[in-house]
Order: sequence, then structure tokens, then C-alpha cells
Amino acid sequence: MTDPTSDSARIAAEPLLSLNAITKRFGSFTALSDVSLDLRPGEIHCILGENGAGKSTLCNLIFGVHRPDGGSMRYRGAPFQPSGPADSLAQGIAMVHQHFSLVGDMSVVDNVLLGRARGVLDRKACAAQLDRLAGEYGLPLDPLARIEDLSVGERQRVEIVKCLIRDPSLFVLDEPTAVLLPDEIAALLDVCRRVAASGRAVVLVTHKLAEIKQVADRVTVLRAGRVVATSDNPAAEIDALVRAMIQGSVEALDESTASMLGFEPVRHVDHGPAAVQPKAEVLQIDGLTVTDHQGVTRLDNFTLTVDRGEIVGVAGVEGNGQSELTAVLAGMMAPTQGRIYLGDQDLTGRSPREITAAGVGIVPEDRHAVGCVTGMSLAENIYLNRLDEFTRFGFLRRAALERDAAAMMQRFDVRARGPGAPFSSLSGGNQQKAVLAREITLPNLACLVAAQPTRGLDVGAVAAVYGHIRAACSRGVAILLVSSELDELLTVADRIVVLYRGQLMGACAADPSRREVIGAMMAGQPL
Amino acid sequence: MSWELFAVFLGSSIRLATPLLLAGIGEMVSERAGVLNMSIEGMMLTSAFAAAVGAWATGDPLIGLLIGIIAVQPVALLQAVLSNTLRANQIVSGIGINILVLGATTLAYREIFGARSRAEIPGLAKIKPPLLGDIPVIGSAVFEQVWLLYAGIALIVATALVLRYTSVGLAIHAAGAEPKAVDKSGLSVARIRYGCVLFAGLMASLSGAFLSIGDIHTFTEGMTRGAGYLAIASVIFGKWRIGGTVFACLLFGAATALQFQLPALGINVPNALLIMLPYLLALLAVGGLVGRQMAPAALGEPYRR
Repeated sequence: MTDPTSDSARIAAEPLLSLNAITKRFGSFTALSDVSLDLRPGEIHCILGENGAGKSTLCNLIFGVHRPDGGSMRYRGAPFQPSGPADSLAQGIAMVHQHFSLVGDMSVVDNVLLGRARGVLDRKACAAQLDRLAGEYGLPLDPLARIEDLSVGERQRVEIVKCLIRDPSLFVLDEPTAVLLPDEIAALLDVCRRVAASGRAVVLVTHKLAEIKQVADRVTVLRAGRVVATSDNPAAEIDALVRAMIQGSVEALDESTASMLGFEPVRHVDHGPAAVQPKAEVLQIDGLTVTDHQGVTRLDNFTLTVDRGEIVGVAGVEGNGQSELTAVLAGMMAPTQGRIYLGDQDLTGRSPREITAAGVGIVPEDRHAVGCVTGMSLAENIYLNRLDEFTRFGFLRRAALERDAAAMMQRFDVRARGPGAPFSSLSGGNQQKAVLAREITLPNLACLVAAQPTRGLDVGAVAAVYGHIRAACSRGVAILLVSSELDELLTVADRIVVLYRGQLMGACAADPSRREVIGAMMAGQPL
Repeated sequence: MSWELFAVFLGSSIRLATPLLLAGIGEMVSERAGVLNMSIEGMMLTSAFAAAVGAWATGDPLIGLLIGIIAVQPVALLQAVLSNTLRANQIVSGIGINILVLGATTLAYREIFGARSRAEIPGLAKIKPPLLGDIPVIGSAVFEQVWLLYAGIALIVATALVLRYTSVGLAIHAAGAEPKAVDKSGLSVARIRYGCVLFAGLMASLSGAFLSIGDIHTFTEGMTRGAGYLAIASVIFGKWRIGGTVFACLLFGAATALQFQLPALGINVPNALLIMLPYLLALLAVGGLVGRQMAPAALGEPYRR
């Protein structure tokens, strides 16, 4: 630990926290089973795993949010049984959660003081402390700024500072890079390095391999709640770690999906069909402007055309107008200005029903709120927009509905107890596949708008979703793909446009070598 | 309007605003912490009744006030348990409590007082602060008030200071805006909210006691007549800030005072219309002037980890 340049010397041999055969169940679901791992002072320990592998549960156990059902933890050599976050905080364990927990209408200082200060507040002293930390770790912040006025990257800095100011011995970050711009990710990883160099243990949860290559000292891979691999030299063993992470679904990966995950050196995949077919504009968005009820302009003079058989990706940090764009295209929100055409049909201000009838499929961002009715059955959800076809004399022909739905389940690999299973009993990935199945099988589908279609899905499901989208594309459907995952867009789309504060910052070919340019546009620098 | 009449109007505006002020500030604290305390009306009525009975039975209004305060705490605790621990709908549970209290106090009143319904009840003393009270014309008319008003003002100032400058204020604000952040910072959302509801109960009990043993020295069935709801309206009108809430309470107080003043000025407006005035004002204020986004983000939502 004396020589920070040498990893082996920096990392102490004695573990700070050790988990021994930890098991955690939620009802009948086993989230973690027999998980053992050591966290040592001075190391960056990455926890790698797909969605639902148990990474967040593991963090929450360490932080005292949940209690284990089996196994034991030792912290600084003594048994450790936190009964809540307060216990863990008092012991020197701090955590940056996947979802921020900041109070929007309070200042940075007040957020930092929350839960720490007793009695009369000393905002000045706290601001001075923030300045000191800012210098030490490279985390510039205005202590008096209100959280609402900060960007996502700045908010995360507040979360990090909130932890660091407690001078923790163990620093847990749960998927901290999911919402960040490329250069913000680099800055965050740098902070992790500095924190580890000061002799603390850092736990970094991620599913991005590039990050592991850059900072991880050791890696533990979780799959389905079990430790399936560990590595003391992750940069060299990355391929083996990935195989462990997605074992079982590795056969399902085609080349481009694999490259999307950073599984193999990134290669751009050419889709062909788009170039072969004659250009025909299917979706035309002309000068679309949306002002919300508070008078804030969410979408500003947005113009875009999507051709037949083309996949256009809309990139951007979340909250820059993507939700409004898809809501307007779906007919759920009225634009203030501008027009939407499908071919030569004017769809501006039409109802969702008319838009569906015209041949636009919508995979909404929030599938629970607008994509499905969780209280109804899978079959009913798959045919939600075409229930008339299964109606005779005003009665629903359930047998026919469920028979057709069973065929759809087969075709789209939707796994459920049966077509009659309640939609809420399906996993997130299967729900998403069902919504996609409904929209992509519209009889006269000319255009598909898919917003964050792979959010929360595991690798196999991601591959399946993009497989279906590509198939639709080669049939000549125009596809507008809205996603905050730049890597996915780079492999799937033909062309990428960037949204920043509701404005179109620029467009370019979906070429991985343009990643920096796109990243800059996402941060608000025009091309 | 002569100066004397204006001074009387001012004095009665403040007197009529006092119960709203006391209850309103308590309600504001509770709402800032995320609990919509609809039962404020019932708490006021409980205290008005208990304080009146206490003062009548012991002959000491101070003991009456104490009994009023103590009697409200179980009601406040019930509201706190319902809205935090049992996660009941806060509006429904609050209204339920109000109806329960109205029935209970009416029944108890008839049992205890029966025919002696106009019994004289000893009331809280009025005081005239030394300097302000000596100002000619307005001195007595405006500043000679029940001491509970001045105690209330001190409490309101203290509340403002606590909310702004202490960790408790920070925790209350955060519990209403982002309870998750409170939980993850190691504080207990439930404890903060319980505390705030009990504080609202304390303030409502002072307010109720002011009505019965401070202002008119008697108890009548359902005597709060919607004052609790007006207090809630003034919190909304005041945009969940102390200054705004105080202003709204004074405005509603003045609107109520107007119904006694206008006839004295010889202006003939149907009395029923004047009685409507504060409520109409509240409706306009709540309906038209305040956007939803001003409210604490987690207002009315029980916290679940």
C-alpha cells in the first residue's frame, strides 16, 4: 500500500469485507445463492453480470438495504450484520445507487448535509469541504446550485461527493456509467482509480467490458445469482469472463450483437438491403416542436426522414426530448408545431388508433405505463390493437385468440406459462418481446418506432429483439430506433442522429470510428 | 371607513386568522414531510371540545388548554399510523377521522352539558404588549389579543428557523420531496413523518383551544365549521412556504372579518354571501393560482422502501 504505482503492493492481502456463502431470496425467487467474495483495501473490484444476475441485490446486502437469508459477512475481521443503511454508513460503507436519490429542489450542499448534519446547519463549512474534495478527486461542483439545474453527470458527481465526504473505507458504485456521456465515464473511472489509490476498496458494478479492461483489479462474475467466475487479471482474461457471464446464450449471439457488447473487436456490420432498394421516404418529420404544459420546449424544430428499409438511430442522453419525440409519433402528445407524414399521408395530431391503422408500430419507452395492460393475459396483450378481429357478434373468441397468440409466442420466443398467463407474470424481457411481437406484426406495417427496446433485457433477449427489427427492416419497413445505448445504435443502425436539449445536433453514419464525434454531439457540441 | 373602524377590522382579522395560522403552520410542516393531514379539522374539533370541557370542569382555562393538547395526540397518532405504518389513503383516512370526531364530540357534548348548553366557560386571558399596545387608536383594537396568539407567533417563527437552518428542517423537506434520499442517507422516513404529524396535531390542538376557550368562551357542535379545510387551503395558497401560508391565513381571516364589518359600514350584502367569501377565495386560490408542481413531490404517498 506504500507504493501506489504497483498494483500488487497497493492492494492489501487482508480483506476489508468478506462475504461467505451468502444467499438471498425474494419469495420463491432466489436472487443470490451461495455467493462468496473478498473485498480488499486498495482494489477496484468489478462485479460483472447481465441484468437480473443479482448485482444490485449484492450491493444492497452490503449496504444493509436487504438482509441475507443465509451465509455471513465479516467486516474488518468482525461479524457484520447491518440492519439498515445507517449501520453500513456508520461502519464506513458508502454507496452510489443505480438510481439517484437526490432532492431536486435542494442545493448541492443541502443534499450533502442530509442525514449527516445534526442541529444547526453549517453550510459554509460544508461548501469548503466540497471544494477540497473537488480538488482532490477532480469533481468540480457548485455547492449552491440546485440539483434540478444540474446535468445527469453533475448529479452523479453530487452522489459521489455525498459518499466521499463520509470518508468511507468501502465505496460501492452500482452501474454508475449507465447514464453518462463517454467523457464523463472516463472521468468517473479516474475518480475510482484515485479513490482506490488512497487505500479504500471500490466495488464497481457494470456490464460494460471496456470499463473492466480499464480499471478492474479483480472481477467477480455473477450469473443467475451465482458466482461463475473470478479473475485476478481481468484485462487478460476478458473473453473467458464474458463467456462465463452469458453462458448458455452465447450460441444465440450473432456477430454484430457480440460486437455490440464489446465481446470481440468492434466491427461495423453492413446491412445491405438499405443500399440495394430504391430510396423512398416513408417517415417524414418536419419541423416538429413540442412545448410541455410548463412552457418548456422539449423538442425544437426537429426534422428527420426515414427511408424504406432504413434503420435510423436517435442517440442522446436521456431526457433530451426522446420521450416527447416517441410520444408525438405515437399520437399520445400533440405537437406545438411541425408535421408528421407517413408516405404522403399526414399523421400530425392523429389519434393513436389512426396512427396504428396507417401502419406505424410503436414500441414505447415505458412498456408498463403505455405498452401493455399488465392485469390482462399475454394473449390479450399480444392482440390488444386487433381484438376486433377475434370478435364475433360482440363476443371475444378466446379459443381463437389464444391459439393465434400461442403461434406468436413460438415465433417471437415469448416464454410464459401459456397464452392465458397474466402479463404481469412474465419477465421484463418476455414482456418486451410480446410488445414487439404485437407491433411488428401489424398487417400493413410501414414504419416502426422503437424506444429503448432493449432496456432491462439480457443478452439473449437483446439479440432476439434486434434480430426481429433487422428482419422487418429487410422487408422494407422504415425503422426509427431511439436508444441511450450508443454501442447498440452503432451496430444496429444505418444512420445516427443526435438529440440534445430537444434539438437535432447532427447526423452521421453509424460507424464506430465516429464514436467520439457522436459523444461530443450528445454533450451539446454541434458537428 | 374611519380609523377606529379600520383598527377594529384589523384586530378582528388577526383574531379570526389566528386559528388558521396555528393549524395552517402545523399542516404545512406535515405536508412538507409528505403527509397530507386531512384530519386537521377533526383534531381542531377534538381540542376545542376537550379544552372547553377541561376549562369548565376545573375552572382553569390553562388546564383546559393542556387537556385539549393531550386529547388531540391520540387522534394525531391514529392519523400517523394510518398514513405511515398502514399506508392508508391519506385523504380518505383523514376525512374518516373528521366524521368520527364530529360524531363523538357532538354526542359527548350533549351527554355532558345537556340543557346547560349556554354554560359560561372560563377563557384564556388577553394581553396587551407593552409598547405596541400603547399606540393610540390601534393599540387596544389591534394588539390586545389572547396570549395564545403571541405564543403562536413565537412558535411560527421558531418553526421557520428550524425549517431553514437545521438538519431537522432539511430532513423534513427531503422526506416530502424525495423520501428515498432520506432513507439512503440513514435517516428514518417514518420517524420524520410521525414527528411532523404529531407536530401538526399539537398546532391543531392550540388552534382548536383558541376557538373555544380563547375566542368565544363556549363550545358549539361542529364549531370548527371547515376552519381545518381552510388551513389546508392556505398551505396550498401559500405554496408550502411559511410566509405564503401566513399571508393566506391573514387573507382568509380578513375575508371572514369583512362579514362583520360591512354591515357596520351600512353596506348591505346578503350575509350568506359574506359567509361564503373566505371559502370562495380559497377555492379560487387553490383552483386557479397554484400549479401542481409546487407541491412536495411525494405529498400524500406513503413511503415503501
